[in-house]
Amino acid sequence: MSFELLVDPSLLQLALLMSTPLLLAALGELIIERSGILNVAIEGMMSVGAGVGFLVAFFTEDHLLGSLAAMAAVALMGWLLGYYGITLRANQLIIGLGLFIFGLGLPSLLYRIAFGPQMVAPRIDLMPSLAIPFLSEIPYIGPVLFDQPLLVYLTYLLVPVLSFFLFRTPLGLQLRACGENPRAADTLGVNIIATRYACVIIGAAIIGLAGYFIPAIVTATYTDNIIGGRGWIALQLVIFGRWLPGASISGALLFAYIEALQYRLALIAKSVPPQLFQTLPYIVAILVMIQVYQRAEKPAALMQPYNREARG
Amino acid sequence: MSQATLVRRVPIQKIAKSLLRGLVLYGISIVVALLVNSLFIAASGGNIIDAYSKIFSSSFGSWIGFGQTLNKWTPLLLGALAVALGNRGGVYNIGVDGQIYIGAVFATGLGFLLADVPIPAPLIVFLVLLAGFIGGGMYAGIAGYLRAVYNVNEIFTTVMMNFVAVFIVEYLATGPWNDPIAGEAITLPIISSAHLPSLIPRTGSHLGILFALLMVFGIWFLLNKTRLGFHIRAVGDNPVASEVGGVNIRTSIFLTLALSGAIAGLAGAVEVIGVHGGRLILGLTPNYGSLAILISAVGMASPTIILGWSAFFAVFFVGSDSLQRSISFPAAGVLVFQAVMFLIIMWIRLLHERGSLAFLGEKS
Repeated sequence: MSFELLVDPSLLQLALLMSTPLLLAALGELIIERSGILNVAIEGMMSVGAGVGFLVAFFTEDHLLGSLAAMAAVALMGWLLGYYGITLRANQLIIGLGLFIFGLGLPSLLYRIAFGPQMVAPRIDLMPSLAIPFLSEIPYIGPVLFDQPLLVYLTYLLVPVLSFFLFRTPLGLQLRACGENPRAADTLGVNIIATRYACVIIGAAIIGLAGYFIPAIVTATYTDNIIGGRGWIALQLVIFGRWLPGASISGALLFAYIEALQYRLALIAKSVPPQLFQTLPYIVAILVMIQVYQRAEKPAALMQPYNREARG
Repeated sequence: MSQATLVRRVPIQKIAKSLLRGLVLYGISIVVALLVNSLFIAASGGNIIDAYSKIFSSSFGSWIGFGQTLNKWTPLLLGALAVALGNRGGVYNIGVDGQIYIGAVFATGLGFLLADVPIPAPLIVFLVLLAGFIGGGMYAGIAGYLRAVYNVNEIFTTVMMNFVAVFIVEYLATGPWNDPIAGEAITLPIISSAHLPSLIPRTGSHLGILFALLMVFGIWFLLNKTRLGFHIRAVGDNPVASEVGGVNIRTSIFLTLALSGAIAGLAGAVEVIGVHGGRLILGLTPNYGSLAILISAVGMASPTIILGWSAFFAVFFVGSDSLQRSISFPAAGVLVFQAVMFLIIMWIRLLHERGSLAFLGEKS
């Protein structure tokens, strides 16, 4: 195998593309976790985003409406997680797992209701890529970095925006305080319940958009299990990035690169069973996380429901 | 003061009252859940009353249906037991589906190996089931090892390993073990002497449910009557305190996950030799692992409570299957159905715990 294959521009372009849903979902999750709520339903949420977004995009033939529908549907799931986790103070892990399973089933159910049994899978037009003038003409890195769909640019733009918001604005401080020391924040007049609700709903909407990315930019169709573990990997990316927006990027790129590479390897090495390559992203993810967990330090109040009346 | 005065007898009225309260509580939950799920049936174009009567008639109305229900009950019960054992020991095993698959791979593999060995049928069945048990245990043991030694979150590893397991089965079922006549992702059958005998003749039910019931007792006994079980529960309740008390947390966590996976692996072996005629197929587990998580949570990780809830979920599983044939209610509907059921039961239970359901009286 030659080295050129590993740094082929079209492979890197695909890797950057595939890193986007991972990164976007991780950013949504990060907002939620920074406020003190653990959302393990992320895989199910992305799945709902993919399914609902696909259906709306198919019938309206409009990607903007598809995106908005995906965000709205998953924001509702976020509200539900908030209702159980914040208001009812349920175990966030158990409710999250329940919502994850609900999210796996719901889009497939809606899809079958909408289309019935189909011989040919309904398709939507893929979101076009948007070449940035001049920049995209730089040799080698131009097409890799600057000939991507709009959502890719927006996602990477969200990283510095979110960093600035979290660490340079009073509202960001308020958000982080909810996840680190809610009682102290409450004493200073921060509304813990409202802040956490806002974070869960906004974060979920972002995760929904990340889910819609898959049918809108990668597959053009909806299939069962369309997310294929990307949600779980995004959940781990938050830990990988130590709850910092920018630090998740390298992880997202790494996982996306492995994912893009396995398609290539399967094409070249035809004598090797393709399933061997397909397991690669999952095995690499486990190996990487072995390193990451040694130094993980989560927000202090993560998963702890806040009860104003309780004695602190 | 004598000991007798310290033990207060609970009056029978009080027990009856709390029992009644539980019945009302879960009665409300189930009714609300059925109402919510009606929306999905209506959306699929089915008549709601017909659909619900079909659910019960298909799972109870005939001996065949009853056998079907017993057969679905088996993997759901074993899977939920696996999840529950993990929860009691402080770990979340989300990889039941993967462990079912790997258990099935081990069982099928041993079945092929024993093809020409002259041993009596009951022994072969036992060995094949044992292979499944060991296979699932080893597979979950990897996650247990990673959690115990490197502190890698077991939810993540078990989920990732679910995907890996599917690819392993796909490779075996389409590649080396493939049955060229039967078609796509299905293996050749293992020797027929390894097939699980039927429980009730002419119902299609197999002996698996007996193993599952035995396992309920086994896990209950392990948790409540043995030293290891005490350690497992101690680590699950309070890891810090149990470490101070001299329990080896790492060993306990590893054993909990391995044993949890082993139970799931047994379910995989049972499916192969009980339901699929000794063949390993892709799609061996239609999300049993996910449903097991719901059942364990609703059953509060107690083996005895899980016994009832898994039967209840099995009825709806068989019922939704028959709806699929009659009104083409989608297969994914089972997941939604049961997840809605779970969310509503948890909702009503949490409301009650917060004292929001005043008409039910104080929580005891």
